[in-house]
Amino acid sequence: MSQSSVESAVDDLEPDEGAEAVELDEGTEEGADEGAEESEGGRRRGPRKPSKARLVELEQEGEIAADYLEGLLDIADLDGDIDMDVEGDRAAVSIVGADLKQLVGKDGQVLEAVQELTRLAVLRATGERSRLMLDIGGFRAARREELTELGTKTADEVKSTGTSVKLAPMTPFERKIVHDAIADAGLRSESEGEEPSRRVVVHPA
Amino acid sequence: MLEDALDHLVRGIVEHPDEVRVRERNQRNGKVLEVRVHPDDLGKVIGRSGRTATALRTVISALGGRNIRVDLVDQRGR
Repeated sequence: MSQSSVESAVDDLEPDEGAEAVELDEGTEEGADEGAEESEGGRRRGPRKPSKARLVELEQEGEIAADYLEGLLDIADLDGDIDMDVEGDRAAVSIVGADLKQLVGKDGQVLEAVQELTRLAVLRATGERSRLMLDIGGFRAARREELTELGTKTADEVKSTGTSVKLAPMTPFERKIVHDAIADAGLRSESEGEEPSRRVVVHPA
Repeated sequence: MLEDALDHLVRGIVEHPDEVRVRERNQRNGKVLEVRVHPDDLGKVIGRSGRTATALRTVISALGGRNIRVDLVDQRGR
């Protein structure tokens, strides 16, 4: 049998190009989620409450993900416990442990890759696309805290100056956290620009 | 360990897990992990714009360092 390396695949494996593709794709996919959380005509949709049947599905997603991740931890000889939860309309899975920096990587790049593969493992097992959210070593939780603080501070600034403020480009996950903090502070925000330089703009009341 | 990790990661996302083979080869400039899957699964392990292949490579590099290449081998006859 003749065998050949898949040239296009190898090309796509160039790290820089690949990293960008991941972010862009993530953007299109999650952008819709983010949009749903943004204010529409002044009316803000609350978090959707999943039905009982949906809850069972999400719990099942979590278990498939946990098996996949547990296998990886075992092979790599990494210590970590896996927590499963449902947040809004998604399964949330966290790997908690002392030394998981390796699996988070710079700016969470490895975490995003592991999440991507885990979603595919769920898709393979259930036949349904998954929006499962993975956290490793508390990386997302810490980022959430930072961004909530940024959102609150920015809201205060906009309230006192009365002028709009444009924030730095962020991923959809990050923008959603900021939008939530702004809404909690009673102001309106929207996203503008194209991925990957899409950014949150905060408007005065 | 890296072979096993890659094998596990790939096996979990393909339709034909029993046909996943990962072979390690040492080359002068580092290690190469060659992945073979059922022909129908090749697209799946590459992913849209190579996204899945990139994710696999990112995780393997994180576990094993920079000098490891992951090659997806096309077994379809030419």
